[in-house]
Amino acid sequence: MRDTPLSNCERDFLLKAIQEKKRLDGRQTYDYRSIKISFGTDYGCCFVDLGKTRIMAQVSCELITPKENRPNEGLIFFNIELSPMASPAFEMGRQSELLVKLNRQLERCLRNSKCIDTESLCVVSGEKVWQIRVDVHLLNHDGNLMDAASIAAIAALCHFRRPDVGIQGEEVTVYSTEERDPIPLSIYHMPICVSFSFFQQGTYLLVDPCEREERVMDGLLMIAMNKHREICSIQSSGGIMLLKDQVLRCSKIASVKVSEITELINKALENDKKARKTGGKFGFAESLPQERITALKTDVSHVEMSDVKEKANEIVQRAEVPPQTVPSPVLTAPGTGQVGEGLENSWGLKEEEEEEEEDETVELKMELEEGHEEKGRGNYLPKFCFPWVSETDSPGPRSVCAVFYGHSLQDSTE
Amino acid sequence: SMAANMRLPTIRKQVSLSSSLSALDGKDLVVPGDVITSDTGFMRGHGTYMDEEKLTASVAGEVERVNKLICVRPLKTRFNGEVGDVVVGRITEVQQKRWKVDTNSRLDSVLLLSSVNLPGGELRRRSAEDELTMRDYLQEGDLISAEVQSVFSDGALSLHTRSLKYGKLGQGVLVQLSPSLIKRQKTHFHNLPCGASIILGNNGFVWLYPTPGHQDEEAGGYYTSLEPVSLSDREVISRLRNCLLALGAHKVLLYDTSVLYCYESSLPHQIKDILKPEVMEEIVMMTRQKLVELEG
Repeated sequence: MRDTPLSNCERDFLLKAIQEKKRLDGRQTYDYRSIKISFGTDYGCCFVDLGKTRIMAQVSCELITPKENRPNEGLIFFNIELSPMASPAFEMGRQSELLVKLNRQLERCLRNSKCIDTESLCVVSGEKVWQIRVDVHLLNHDGNLMDAASIAAIAALCHFRRPDVGIQGEEVTVYSTEERDPIPLSIYHMPICVSFSFFQQGTYLLVDPCEREERVMDGLLMIAMNKHREICSIQSSGGIMLLKDQVLRCSKIASVKVSEITELINKALENDKKARKTGGKFGFAESLPQERITALKTDVSHVEMSDVKEKANEIVQRAEVPPQTVPSPVLTAPGTGQVGEGLENSWGLKEEEEEEEEDETVELKMELEEGHEEKGRGNYLPKFCFPWVSETDSPGPRSVCAVFYGHSLQDSTE
Repeated sequence: SMAANMRLPTIRKQVSLSSSLSALDGKDLVVPGDVITSDTGFMRGHGTYMDEEKLTASVAGEVERVNKLICVRPLKTRFNGEVGDVVVGRITEVQQKRWKVDTNSRLDSVLLLSSVNLPGGELRRRSAEDELTMRDYLQEGDLISAEVQSVFSDGALSLHTRSLKYGKLGQGVLVQLSPSLIKRQKTHFHNLPCGASIILGNNGFVWLYPTPGHQDEEAGGYYTSLEPVSLSDREVISRLRNCLLALGAHKVLLYDTSVLYCYESSLPHQIKDILKPEVMEEIVMMTRQKLVELEG
């Protein structure tokens, strides 16, 4: 199925925002989205979340006969698959240009850089060698597939353990996981791909483009580097003209990002090792309960609230008179209510002060109870709204609700 | 601006109106997998399949029976165009001698070079030069209004803009709704008395734009006016857009009268408030009431 075409106004909006150094999700020009690396129960299974882009890599091995001209070396095979669940534009089995490009780039990044010691994969020279197969599946497409794929592939390779092999004279025994502990692959370095997208013929640059930004970009520069500042591969697509100092600047940014990401991968590997040692639940089994899809769940988003009060007061002073509206604009409906000084508390929850008042006069108590029963909306309100209710000092006119809520949010997130 | 509206999640209430309930009496609604009949005497039509001698529905919708033919008309579907339908579409590709247009159907529609009005309104044979300058008339991403000329055998539509009222669309707002909500009428172009104009495309794409002043039509619809639109016009169009979304959410049939009544019912509220669920319900209920009064 074809993707819905991007409208002209969306395109113009994105480009204009980029010119003003603003991104859709509020990131800075050189910021990466949050990267989450988790491992599965099997050795060699790795999930990477780059923002909303989700990729899974699985490493497996088997014994085969080596190539004739290289009898001492093992083989590594890479395969990326664009699953239809990643985007409606992807169809299973269809060889698209994007797929070929990603496969080629992953091969160049990992195979040509010789990050894995292939000679250590040899079992019997000329007869039996290990073939390591890396399968990368794209689960959700939200931009920057190459970076996520390279992180997933190298993390999975570092995580993978191959079966131990014993050679006695002519006999070769492959021990299963129960008999002997499997051994990790010998990896020299970790090449990671960093993508730079260019806009307006190379004038503006963004690191880690999301799906929307990718649709309006002019060209893409992918630099694969390791933490020792060695460039493993560079690829520029889109046909944009890049100046020498632009490429140098990108490589400098890439080296910073690569060292950060390498640290992240190492930390994730450490955590997984620890978890496996202690025998606790780890990887897939652990993550399954957390992968519930709840309609009311959303990620933590950081809201800037340092100067809310001043800005809000400014806006209130400058605001025009709102247009004529019906005298009772407050529509009481389940889940909404009003709080504030001098107003009737319609949350349906009794505050401490009101409870005290009730104790004093019985008659008033009856009235209040009836009033609350009528409103009875408390049933649907979750627990977290309590801290909001206790603060009754609403600063200023009702239209400045933001300050009130903002204040409480700050408290509850601390 | 930092002021924001926040609301808590609530359990949705079912809004049931007596008028809609009575209409459901005669309807036979099915979901995919429902057995329609075990009688082998019927012919199967669209939306059905044979599952072990039993006629089963493959889409969710209502069952229609014409003598011996049973078919299921789906509630939510892509636009199935017929000759004479007015559509609003977006150019996705510029090919040799034709444009491909996205009209919310299963296949992209086709707009042949020979089916458009050349600038100047002349009637002449299309030359090779015309082919090369196709991009000057319509580019990828442009919005057009057109009429369905014919339907190809695979279901793709062939469009034409051979009238001054069709052509490239300029400044305005596009609202994308389900095609089943647009009522078939004699004309789909309306100049609403509230101060804006509307094109109700049969494919569910509705175009709102400021009523054009008196201007001599230059190139048969390829002249896009870039005059700044006044604030009052923009407010009217924003309000209409929110009203359309409200009507679409409550599955109300869209035509000029229903849109107008909805606009009038929404006047007491601020434009941004129209999108709140309870305000939407109120406005749509008032609109439905007015429409019932109009009929009866």
